[in-house]
Amino acid sequence: MRRVLVPVTLVTLFIVAIQLSVFSGLRFAGVVIMIVWLWPLAMGLAGLTTLALWCALVAGVFFDTHATTPFGLTAVVALLLAYGASRLGREGVGDLDSAAWWVTPLLAAAAGFVAPLIYVGASFFTFNFSLWRNSLFATMVVNAVAFFVLARPMARLARWLGNLGGSRR
Amino acid sequence: MATDRSRRRSWTFGVAVVATLVILYLTTGVSSGLRGGANIVITPFSWAVNTIARPIGHMLAGTVNYSDVVAQNEKLRYQLGKAEERANEGWSYARQLRELTTELNVPFVGSLPTVAAQITTLSPTNFSATVGISKGRDAGVMVGMPVVANGGLVGRVIATTANGATVRLITDTASSVGVTFKSGKTTLIVSGRGLNNGLGATAVPLGTSIAPGTKLSTDGLNGALYPAGLPVASVKTIILTPGAATYNLTVQPTANLRHLSYLDVVIWEPAA
Repeated sequence: MRRVLVPVTLVTLFIVAIQLSVFSGLRFAGVVIMIVWLWPLAMGLAGLTTLALWCALVAGVFFDTHATTPFGLTAVVALLLAYGASRLGREGVGDLDSAAWWVTPLLAAAAGFVAPLIYVGASFFTFNFSLWRNSLFATMVVNAVAFFVLARPMARLARWLGNLGGSRR
Repeated sequence: MATDRSRRRSWTFGVAVVATLVILYLTTGVSSGLRGGANIVITPFSWAVNTIARPIGHMLAGTVNYSDVVAQNEKLRYQLGKAEERANEGWSYARQLRELTTELNVPFVGSLPTVAAQITTLSPTNFSATVGISKGRDAGVMVGMPVVANGGLVGRVIATTANGATVRLITDTASSVGVTFKSGKTTLIVSGRGLNNGLGATAVPLGTSIAPGTKLSTDGLNGALYPAGLPVASVKTIILTPGAATYNLTVQPTANLRHLSYLDVVIWEPAA
């Protein structure tokens, strides 16, 4: 686990950089695709619970320091996605080899669809009641589609990194 | 037993998430410090990503959009000519307005100094409409200063560093601007509805005489966040609800917020 922590952290920081430098400007229907949520999700689906939570925390916190939205919200959503996905991942659901090809993308799409909703729901805890007005449904749909497309390459990268450590979970 | 342990773990995780959220929210001072630290960590990674991604992006965009760029250039030249014409015509009106506003003791934006800045970053999230600009405290940019571009109000500075600042656009859901129109007797509050949704005004009294196309500008009332006379938006549609004592407006920002590259920070601070 310790051996893989450094490469996983570095890859996570690269993912945040890609999010900030590429995906923030590359909007589809005015919507930003949140790969900082997809990455911990892919880690979770690979069954790497601890690493998934670590990725979620690092990606979320670093992303939040660049956004003007309440600090910690992206990290919380990422943690929830990572935790949920890792529960499935530990059961072998979403495994790239044993499950049908569409299972991982479909799970990711479902996560991409609900993640913005969780984000807005969590924002109520920070007394921020206006985030839902930001084209929420479009954000949900675009992220679901993007997560569906990007899920398998991300899951492969996650599994490859996990294998560097030699063990799952 | 295993189920109990699993349930306990889930509860602990849930409590930890909520506690993190609350603590991070309450300690906003910590978050601003973290912002600087995180920037230092992310910068080399962003540099690496930009070095690889930017030339590829430019090459693709150049290949696909070359004819569009040429057409846009011609259009811009034409618009620039028209704008120069209007500026010449408007000179005498501007002088009259300056005299009148001086008499009324409200600041006139034409007389206020500005700092030109380039947009360096777009909001990284779907849930805020902000941009990062290339000028900060060192250039005299302070929190609260209004920002204009493309012929209208764009937003307001909400954070600064030595060499940069963050501008909250008027379309952000946390943004609201006091505006007036025509004679200046009626004031309205125009609020942001998100980056893709423009602006809106609610609870406009039925007696208010307003029509689609009416230009709205900042009211500059005592304690206002903006000086008077900055063009903000024009009325797009009027939404009447049968039986209601008020109506709502959808409003189109005067400045084209989708194509911002450069903007001017007005060196003006709201009264304390």
